[in-house]
Amino acid sequence: MSTHAATVPAALPTAASTAATAGKALTVGLIGLAATLLAALFAPEKHGVALSYLVGVSYWTAIAIGMLLMILIHHITDASWSVVIRRQWEHGLAAFKWLFVLFLPLLILAWAVPGFVWPWMDKTHVLHGHGTVGTDILYLKKEGFLNIYTFTIMTLVFFGSWVWLSARLRRASFTQDTDGNAAWTFKNRVTSAMGLPIAALTLTFAAIYWIKSLEYHWFSTMYGVWFFANCARGALCCGVLIMVWLLHRGDYKGILNTNHFHSIGMLMLAFTVFWAYVTFSQYFLIWNANVPEETFWYNLRELNHDGTTNQWWYVGLVILFGHFVIPFCALLSYRFKVTPHIIRRIAYWVLTIILIDICYNVLPALKDEHGDSLPFLSINLLWVLTSVIGVGGICIWAYLRSFPTTKLIPIRDPRIGECLTHHE
Amino acid sequence: MAAPSYGLIATFDTAPEIYHAAAQVRDAGYKNWDVISPCPLHGLDAAMGLKRSIVPRISLAGGITGFCTGMSLIWWTGAYDYKLTVGGKPLFSPMFAFPVSYELTILFTAFATIIGMFIVNGLPRHHHPVLKYDQIKRGLDDRFFIVIEARDPRFNLANTSALLAKLGGTGIKELEA
Repeated sequence: MSTHAATVPAALPTAASTAATAGKALTVGLIGLAATLLAALFAPEKHGVALSYLVGVSYWTAIAIGMLLMILIHHITDASWSVVIRRQWEHGLAAFKWLFVLFLPLLILAWAVPGFVWPWMDKTHVLHGHGTVGTDILYLKKEGFLNIYTFTIMTLVFFGSWVWLSARLRRASFTQDTDGNAAWTFKNRVTSAMGLPIAALTLTFAAIYWIKSLEYHWFSTMYGVWFFANCARGALCCGVLIMVWLLHRGDYKGILNTNHFHSIGMLMLAFTVFWAYVTFSQYFLIWNANVPEETFWYNLRELNHDGTTNQWWYVGLVILFGHFVIPFCALLSYRFKVTPHIIRRIAYWVLTIILIDICYNVLPALKDEHGDSLPFLSINLLWVLTSVIGVGGICIWAYLRSFPTTKLIPIRDPRIGECLTHHE
Repeated sequence: MAAPSYGLIATFDTAPEIYHAAAQVRDAGYKNWDVISPCPLHGLDAAMGLKRSIVPRISLAGGITGFCTGMSLIWWTGAYDYKLTVGGKPLFSPMFAFPVSYELTILFTAFATIIGMFIVNGLPRHHHPVLKYDQIKRGLDDRFFIVIEARDPRFNLANTSALLAKLGGTGIKELEA
């Protein structure tokens, strides 16, 4: 390729200030959160607001977990091409502690009004058609796992592990900028070796506790993997958006070349296929076995009790085509992967569909008196939007606040030279 | 010219020299020519004006063929040729045809990629005219060569030779066909 980075700029300044943008992100975030809060206080259907907020927090947490995974995988594979973009993901990890703060309202709600968000927390909760949670054998068998104490402890463990891993990775990487000691790289490799199983387990259990347990009757061994695929795709898309942003702003001029875009684009393609593989497997196995304990979850997302098709069926099709077919075909193209404004469009698209995918997994837990899922197109979408903007504003603010505190790229990483001349 | 020649070969000593010489040969409009180097030179593809390989397109064609083969195989065997109800499922559904189609997509893509690669790169090959050149072994060690073939429309023994000399090529020699 003719697009090698020219030469390493002699003196890289600390990244240019992003204070103004960070302030804007914070303002937008606070407005979003305030709107969600107002809805929670005054909207007639408060259950929908709570679940919409769960969508918003889960969405950004998924992206942050994805960034954590990308850094862990980078270190464990001793990758070179991603050294530059790794620094941006490291800044992204600054969002974890704020995501924990933003999750607290849901945790407080779980204690204040048990069963409001996760029905199994209230043993007197009446199940549609048969008794209460407290008399439900399927709940009683799972009670050791599904109770508010384990839920609370596990949620604290999740955020604790993520914040702890992030702090270790960030400190080692940032300190290396000043002393250039390769030992920090080895330290991060050790962190990654223990961090990967920790991240895999925590994200799986987080998906099970926060999202899957909304329908605690259901079984799917693919669930954690489904969530993992979305985490990874979200982080890669955000990585692309940051790359294009910094390229256009001029920061990454002479640092990024075509092959960086090609490499991250190939990972996006790989995770598109991976997401499709696990999501299809989950559907196919349930479809093929045809056991009511499992099929009801998809029935809720396809049919009403009278057999008519509901809106979620169409949402499912949007996910099938929008989350797999379209990005898959688009990402097959070399030109699309290496053209910044095209790959950016694909990244925006995929980020939107990830949100719809999470809505598809969370919102049908809202049901009417017949036990049918409430439609997709409803006022709840507005609360999803305010939550996503609210939580997102805080996450972007956290990223932008971390951004100017270090060098733009890890200039003294042992692999930085290889990264700057990354080739096919 | 007595016997028809294969083309001209010129020797270059360093990677930057061959890189710039290649760009000049490209700009002179030659199509049938090649660079011989003991190591991969990043950026040489563009300096030579080489386009991206067409192998990915062959792979895609293989993949589509595999997918359609899988789908039609399941439909033809289970829903057309010998109608068979299994597990109360429809005679045909893309749902259960998918795993097979998916496997065949990968299999046919792999075949198409390997076969396509060999067709495009022209390997395996038992002999090549440059092997008759007594200095060619240096091309595995410490020298770089440019070979311009006589079948190139722009090829002209005197002019091409002069061009190679102007670019800094030494030991310019005509290769036997």
